[in-house]
Amino acid sequence: MRDWDELVRRQLLDLGLETDERNEVISEIAAHLEENYEELRRQGMTEEEAARHTLSQVEDWQKLSRLIQVARKKENGMTNRVRQFWLPSLLTFFLSMGLLMLIQLFGPKPWSVVIKNGWSLIANAAMIYLPWLFSLPLIGAMGAYLSNRAGGSKRAMFSSTVFPVVPYLALFLLALPVTAVVDARLGPHIMLLALFVNILAWVVAPAAALLTGGVLVQHLLSRRLEPGRIAGS
Amino acid sequence: MIGAGIKRGTAELAVLSVLEDGPLHGYELARRIEQQTKGALRFTLAALYPMLYRMEQRRWIRGAWETSDNGRRRRCYRLTPAGKKKLSPLRQEWSELFQALRRLKKVAHA
Repeated sequence: MRDWDELVRRQLLDLGLETDERNEVISEIAAHLEENYEELRRQGMTEEEAARHTLSQVEDWQKLSRLIQVARKKENGMTNRVRQFWLPSLLTFFLSMGLLMLIQLFGPKPWSVVIKNGWSLIANAAMIYLPWLFSLPLIGAMGAYLSNRAGGSKRAMFSSTVFPVVPYLALFLLALPVTAVVDARLGPHIMLLALFVNILAWVVAPAAALLTGGVLVQHLLSRRLEPGRIAGS
Repeated sequence: MIGAGIKRGTAELAVLSVLEDGPLHGYELARRIEQQTKGALRFTLAALYPMLYRMEQRRWIRGAWETSDNGRRRRCYRLTPAGKKKLSPLRQEWSELFQALRRLKKVAHA
């Protein structure tokens, strides 16, 4: 005798509804699966065939969980957006900025990137805080997890994961035309080079670190919810 | 076979129409639609429940737990007065759309 209720409960772990409402959804879906399974058994399928066929109705449990959550939420789209994108984004932003400040105050000296233009100019182009970079995957993972828990799509998850680098990116993009003009007047083109080094150090590298955490969480959540992993239960 | 986009639009009409005959639980509702449309409209669990919950939020249908003769508890959906009210203009909209499509020569011969 298959425990459909337990199976659905495990698949819909991330269903962010109140306990009573959640139990109600789980019972209803379990009843549907059970009825489908029994119908297939009556038609002559073996237990394994019927179970496989029944479970094939849901290709992506994570997506089903998200769709149910969105459908049952009484709040409007704006509230969902806040829960799925803005809250995780602001959390990753303030955590990463707070941690950077702490590392700047109490952490080891940063790694300086020096650029040269022939023999004439040497500039300290960027400071790289390695402990900060190494901590970013954890912060990215937290953002992705919170977004996913609120029923956020993959797009919302990854957007909130990389949100902390957006202000830097905006700043550097704004500085780009000014730097290009100044550089063109001064001649040695060292400022433009420094700007690109800074984009690498403050945008590309942190974004990659944050995304590492986000992708890992996404991968773990999707693995946990793969139908095949529990089909035999 | 009917495409996904058209199916999405007709799904709510199908659910409301079938529930007009009386309350049904999700599995039976899906089966009834599949039978009556000769398999042209087929709902998987993943498509059915988000739609039912959405329609419930809009108060077109109401779900309530009931115990069947064999002792099983099932959540049965019934049409609400708001759902009945919605059904008529929805039918009208689809009917007008089909008539408009039929007037197009190329579609009529398709």
